[in-house]
Amino acid sequence: MRKAWLGWTLLGAPALIAAGCATYPDQATTRQIAEKMVSEDYSAPTPALLKRLVQDKSQQICSKIGGAALTPAETDEVLKLARASIKYPASGKLVGDWKAGDTLAHDGAGDRIQGGRLEQRKENGGLCQNCHALAPGEINVGNVGPSLTGYGAQRGNSEAIVKYTYEKIYNAWAYFPCSNMPRLGATGHLTPEQVAHMVAYLIDPQSAVNRK
Amino acid sequence: MSGNRSSVAAIALVCVSAFAQGAGDPLAVGRQMLAEDNPGELWIDQGKNLFYEKRGPQKASLEQCDFGLGPGKLEGATTRLPRYFPDTDKVQDLESRLLTCMVQLQGFKREDLIKRAISPAGSSGSDVEALAIYITSRSNGMKMNVALSHQKEYDMYKAGEYLFYRRSGQTDFACVQCHGDSNKRIRLQDLVNMTDPKQIQEVVSTWPAYRGAHFVVRTMQWRLYDCFWQMRLPELVYTSDTSIALTTYLHHQGNGAVVQVPGFKR
Amino acid sequence: MAEPMKIRATLQVDTADVRILMQHPMETGQRKDAKGAIVPMHFIQNVVVTHNGKTVLDAQWSQAISRNPFLGLRVKGARAGDRISVTWTDNKGDTRTDEVAVAAPA
Repeated sequence: MRKAWLGWTLLGAPALIAAGCATYPDQATTRQIAEKMVSEDYSAPTPALLKRLVQDKSQQICSKIGGAALTPAETDEVLKLARASIKYPASGKLVGDWKAGDTLAHDGAGDRIQGGRLEQRKENGGLCQNCHALAPGEINVGNVGPSLTGYGAQRGNSEAIVKYTYEKIYNAWAYFPCSNMPRLGATGHLTPEQVAHMVAYLIDPQSAVNRK
Repeated sequence: MSGNRSSVAAIALVCVSAFAQGAGDPLAVGRQMLAEDNPGELWIDQGKNLFYEKRGPQKASLEQCDFGLGPGKLEGATTRLPRYFPDTDKVQDLESRLLTCMVQLQGFKREDLIKRAISPAGSSGSDVEALAIYITSRSNGMKMNVALSHQKEYDMYKAGEYLFYRRSGQTDFACVQCHGDSNKRIRLQDLVNMTDPKQIQEVVSTWPAYRGAHFVVRTMQWRLYDCFWQMRLPELVYTSDTSIALTTYLHHQGNGAVVQVPGFKR
Repeated sequence: MAEPMKIRATLQVDTADVRILMQHPMETGQRKDAKGAIVPMHFIQNVVVTHNGKTVLDAQWSQAISRNPFLGLRVKGARAGDRISVTWTDNKGDTRTDEVAVAAPA
């Protein structure tokens, strides 16, 4: 009697599972399914451009579901990789022309892919205005990031501030691992010279950002 | 001279008091106007005509199309999408299922539909957009109710969640970078916090929508494509699994939202 | 081919609240296309609204009116079932007429 009961149960359990008691896949399976989608579901004019979808090590760490916290080891790794990525302008000058930086800061275009073509302009825009308040009185500015109004007026333009500002724009993750801010210089969206112009835009006492 | 000054002063006074009256919420009147008279309604009417018209090489209407509740049953159908369809063995959203029916029932070529689905800004719109907004309008007033029961639906949901947080490209953006906090905006465009269940409801209930700047109806497929464009990433393929995974995740998170189309976007 | 309008006319006591959505490019003739060529003028020049055949509004529009325009008006002395007819004519000679009956309040 007992044996028969056991027999039926052993038969029944796998049948139940096979019948599809569907459930959430585990993390590894999800990753496999999703990465396969990413590799198949986009088009670009060249294979090189498709590589934009491939994550680097830092991006992989910084893609935690639900905004979960980093472990100390992960924090260290992102910081280390970010600091190692920083490149300075060939001239060694970290402060460029604030007027050029002003133009860049308000330019949200460049390097987008549409209709099988890459948006190629003289240079990529800095995208700053999308997320940051800049010169006082400007209305059409975002608030995803903190206000930069009066940046230089508040901090001065010591060598330390200049270096910090340059590095923060070049690779924000060198100071705030997994920050929402793009690693503009490190990912190649902006050149070191462009970053220097933006430093000037923030730091220069004459810059519109520091106007009263 | 003094006469001019006093008339100017009078005009200024009128302007100031008119402004002061609306100071409570200066956008409320405009919002109400757009809610009551949305050009998107023109495409709902067009979509209805297209739905019943015998079209394509097979000269058939879409009345036999099954959007999940049985052939031709439209009322409430989009509240359950995306969902698994046994005949295609795939999880499909509205636009994907629409394409399936336009190909199978009407004989259109899939590549042709994909090419014209997203119409150029300022054009008279595409048949796909009109049909999508008509079919969705048949769920107006009903609550979003996306269920997860087939394994592929669970897979899609989790994949969508994974993709929502997946950072890539030179902007290091995933969806969450812009849609992970409340009271944020890009320039003057308010951003929905999609980690907040209440705010997601606004997302799932107001697409398809009339996009004012484009003068045509835009759909969720278009919205996802446009996000990836701004993120400097390659072009998202229309009705791809990636797009359906993200839509499954968002729609399920937005369950309970009351459908109200046409939406109105800037 | 002129696209149909969407007209709603709802009775409020003795006044019909008329809302009209039109579909029209309303090109100003000042825009340039992607290739740099001027997109030709194509806009509604005249809108006529009649109430039971009698003209209640005769509007001359210019390029200043936006694409897919909305027109709202209130017609006094209306009753449920009255005919409201709207006709637009554009600078190319294209025209569209749509008509609706005034609906009693819900």
